[in-house]
Amino acid sequence: MKKLYLVLLCAMLMVGVCHAQSKNNKKKKSSAAYNKQNKENEIFLEKQFWLGVKGGITLTKPSVQKTYTVVSPTNYNASGKKYESFKQVGGQLALEVAFYFKGISISFQPTYQSSNFSYSNTYSWSSTADDVLYSTELMYEQDQKLEHLLLPFVAKYEFTGNKLRPYFQAGFYQGILLNATKSVIISGVDQGAGGTNEFKNEPVIVGAKDLFAKYYWGLIGGAGVYYNLGNVRLNLDVQYRYGMSNITSVENRYSNSQLMGIGDVMDDLHMDNLAIAVGCLFPMRFLQSGFKSLDRK
Amino acid sequence: MNKNIRNLFMLIASSLLPFSCAEKENINLETENFTSIFDSNSFITEYLPIDIQQTPDGGYLILAERSLDSTEVTGAYLMKADKFGNFVQAMELGDTVINPIGPLNVIDGQYHFFCMSSSNEDYSQAKLATIDANLSAITIQNAGGLTYPEASSVVDNKLLLLTYNNGDKTSVVSEVTTGGTVTELAAYTVGVGEDSEDPIIEHHLKEGRQFPFAVGRTSTNTYYYNGFYEYNFSVVFVNPGADDPQGVVQGQSDHGGFSSIVPISGNKFAASRFNFGDNYLLPNTVLDPGDFSTSPDKGGIFSPELVEDARVKIHRAIVGTQNILIYGSDTRSKQIGLFYYDEATGTFLGSRYIGFSNPFQVAAMGNTSDGGIIVCGTTYLAGRFPRICLTKLSKEEIESDIK
Repeated sequence: MKKLYLVLLCAMLMVGVCHAQSKNNKKKKSSAAYNKQNKENEIFLEKQFWLGVKGGITLTKPSVQKTYTVVSPTNYNASGKKYESFKQVGGQLALEVAFYFKGISISFQPTYQSSNFSYSNTYSWSSTADDVLYSTELMYEQDQKLEHLLLPFVAKYEFTGNKLRPYFQAGFYQGILLNATKSVIISGVDQGAGGTNEFKNEPVIVGAKDLFAKYYWGLIGGAGVYYNLGNVRLNLDVQYRYGMSNITSVENRYSNSQLMGIGDVMDDLHMDNLAIAVGCLFPMRFLQSGFKSLDRK
Repeated sequence: MNKNIRNLFMLIASSLLPFSCAEKENINLETENFTSIFDSNSFITEYLPIDIQQTPDGGYLILAERSLDSTEVTGAYLMKADKFGNFVQAMELGDTVINPIGPLNVIDGQYHFFCMSSSNEDYSQAKLATIDANLSAITIQNAGGLTYPEASSVVDNKLLLLTYNNGDKTSVVSEVTTGGTVTELAAYTVGVGEDSEDPIIEHHLKEGRQFPFAVGRTSTNTYYYNGFYEYNFSVVFVNPGADDPQGVVQGQSDHGGFSSIVPISGNKFAASRFNFGDNYLLPNTVLDPGDFSTSPDKGGIFSPELVEDARVKIHRAIVGTQNILIYGSDTRSKQIGLFYYDEATGTFLGSRYIGFSNPFQVAAMGNTSDGGIIVCGTTYLAGRFPRICLTKLSKEEIESDIK
């Protein structure tokens, strides 16, 4: 299934580029009557390399593929882990190199992405002895902070416009794990010491790079808009990065004795990110001529 | 333009290569390596594992003690986990049989262990329990009038049993068939006077120190036990049919002696000893069955990181082509410490620690069919609820521990 996605993506990119090329050939024939300046303008519009940067925020949604637990209940049903989606804000910073050709851009966007997500699990114990209820309830709040280098390839289709040029985009990315940490906060209510005691411990923070997959990949879909300001393009970009592979290390799932000791183990997870960024792009051709590019009247 | 497109597609194609590195599900890894803690939601019930055996289906059978209401003695609890470490089912034996002892002895696909009767008419009588790998049927029978079972092992498809006879005040070594027929091999006095049996009775009533009783046979067919003899907790080499033992490694009252002993070959043993709270590991020691000596004479590697009078479990394993000894014990940092030694030379090879935050204590270790090790122990969930825990280590993990 994943291979099929890749094949479809490659085919889409190829069709897009070839279609643009064929249009270009036709236009070349009809543009013969224009003067030299017009030809230059047309070339600028028809194909251009852009270089830029963008930065913004990410919101993360983990999707459980398979659940794993350390604590195996013998006389009750496990409450399971409760994940939070799109709650914690992460960040991103990207470099973008794009080749524009008659409405379609092929863009390579190496991106630093930090993703934060959390889950919690709850355990309780209770018994009645001599008509006295004894109980303890513990909640483990587990926060994950992951840093990845993403290598996305994106095809964009731009709608015609002057100052404002909206676009749709689709592509795929490869993620390379840079760093990961986990923090665990244990809180609870203890009625085992003769009274009710609510407590919340300081977080236990552990390096968790080994617990996560070195590589993962996914698909990208999104939209955005360019605002042309002289030769510079300002950019508002929204991407949904749909994770397609497990971000948890299968091999090292049980390797962290600190987390084992407090009863935690990572599920098999796919990670989606909603990424919102602003940035700017600069044309790599005609920069020396004082040429006004896409904001011309 | 064509060149640009070609370069672009080459770039895309090269970027696809790392996709082959994405994590893939590996069902074998899920059986080779896991940690499980078996939890009950009871505030007051305690579960303390004794031994573990891998069953033919790749799962695990665990023998444990469970706390009983209004008494310090313990009930028997059997639990089955699957090959992934997930809970399958459990069986609680009634309160009429108490104080189960390990190990789970495997004979002809059946699992045998001893416990003690708690009924008024035959209190302290040894009982032999037999169960299959799926906990589907259990039989409990008398073990020929023996009382206060302390340790057992398997020899020649028979069970070797160490018991205490509080009438004669003797430590008794017997062979017991799976049908419950008893042949007494030897009985040696624990000392005269009422005080001599106090630590033994306190052990059995769970009101005092729990002693590391053991019984077995060496490769030269010499029977031995680790238990009380003449007021001291000693290693005693049995002289079947005679009034006195062949030899004794004498402990120091109930304050010094051997905390574990495993025969390797001939007179060579892997062992550990305790002495007024201190712990010493002896991965390569010679105990002559004909000698009379004392346990402090045997020296050993002083191990200050272990808790006072630590419980020590010794397990023999093969890593690659190397025979190793794994010492499992309880550290002061409340972890299970695994210490690896070369079986031939006693050279230290490496270590591993299991657990964090909540206390962990070792109960038993076992080889698994995939070349790994299963470590069974107790952890205290929320720092207070004793529960059975399993840590499965793969062959590769153990190899990586060994320097």
